[in-house]
Amino acid sequence: MIKFVKALSIVIAVLLLQTTIFPYYLLAPFHPNLLVIMVVYLGLRSKSPFGALAAFSLGLLHDCFSGIYFGLNGFSYLCIFHALHKTADRLYTDSRYLMVLTVFFATIVTGLFNMLLLFIFSAANGIYATLLSSLIPQALVNALIASLIFMMPASVVAEEP
Amino acid sequence: MIELFNKYKVYLLVGLSLLAALIFYSLHLKNREHASPLERSVMNVMAPASKLGSAGNGFFSGLWSDYLDLVNVRRENKELRRIIKLYNARETESREALMANERLKSLLELKTSTQVPSLAAGVIGEDGSPWFKTLFLDRGAAEGLQEGMPVVAVDGVIGRLVKVAAESSRVLLLTDHASGIAAVVQRSRARGVVKGTGDGRCSLEFTLRDEDVKVGDVIVTSGVGGGFPKGLKVGEVTMVKKGAYGIFQTVEVRPAVNISRLEEVLVLLQQTYD
Repeated sequence: MIKFVKALSIVIAVLLLQTTIFPYYLLAPFHPNLLVIMVVYLGLRSKSPFGALAAFSLGLLHDCFSGIYFGLNGFSYLCIFHALHKTADRLYTDSRYLMVLTVFFATIVTGLFNMLLLFIFSAANGIYATLLSSLIPQALVNALIASLIFMMPASVVAEEP
Repeated sequence: MIELFNKYKVYLLVGLSLLAALIFYSLHLKNREHASPLERSVMNVMAPASKLGSAGNGFFSGLWSDYLDLVNVRRENKELRRIIKLYNARETESREALMANERLKSLLELKTSTQVPSLAAGVIGEDGSPWFKTLFLDRGAAEGLQEGMPVVAVDGVIGRLVKVAAESSRVLLLTDHASGIAAVVQRSRARGVVKGTGDGRCSLEFTLRDEDVKVGDVIVTSGVGGGFPKGLKVGEVTMVKKGAYGIFQTVEVRPAVNISRLEEVLVLLQQTYD
């Protein structure tokens, strides 16, 4: 229960940072997506049977505060989680560099999933140009933030929800 | 006689010395405002020593007072720094209040000039993804807001409400790819649909190639479709391109409102406009 409350407060803090604090100080393509970092963490290090549910919930939470397509990030985050969770056994997941690299690629893959779903299901023509141009800057910023987060001692980094 | 002198010698000498002193004093009474040569000599001799003594006295006195000052100066310095910080914070606060007052005043002017009932709302957040353009407002269904209601600012249209919760709501900005607003060119009445391009700009689409559109033209809402009241400023034409082929022209529009600096908006509470 305490773990859950702790994780929930971290998620709320992350959402506040992402929607209220970062946009105030940073320009649009350079807003970090902290939720992706959490999903990567869950995918690589979580042993919880609720990891997938947590990743999907994080995606839905992101959708509550982004765009008009509810479930878009829910799907993308779930895909990322499963892909990472299946390969985690074969990777040295304690490595900080691996985490940073994975966050970078996970951000790009999430964006590409978003683009694919928008292409199939929505009529938002022209979003691809905006999305693709924002993807690399966001992936770099996410990697930078991830490097800072995973530089902390393991006890400080959040436990999985 | 000698015996008598010897007997009273002491008294006599004392008396004589006192008399001499009295005479000396009385002789100098006439020129009492002028220094005698003796006085001058003594003064001349003593002056440098007096100066030195005085300086030393000043030094020691200064040293003492400086020491006493030093004892309190650190505490005083801290206190002064705290006061300066306090005043700086107050100055920033008052400047903020002044600016908020200006913004709210102009919003109030807009509210009174708009025929439609409206509700002022504050912007509390932005979209979590860089490729979508939405804003969070601090008002929701509890205040009567509904999806589809137009949102405007002093300078013009911002977008429309898309997701309304009890105490908050989200605005789909006119710069988002999913946004579309029926509009006309104010000067020539050429029709089109203002769509977002995602990079903070918009384009006027479906405007026929033969229509008269020029750079600098003002785009206003047409009222078609009932989503927005007629005549609200949307933006200004910044580029017009007519290709060799096709039936439409490419018109780039700069939004009238600087969306990145929005803090307060006005939600028009009527949903359909005829």
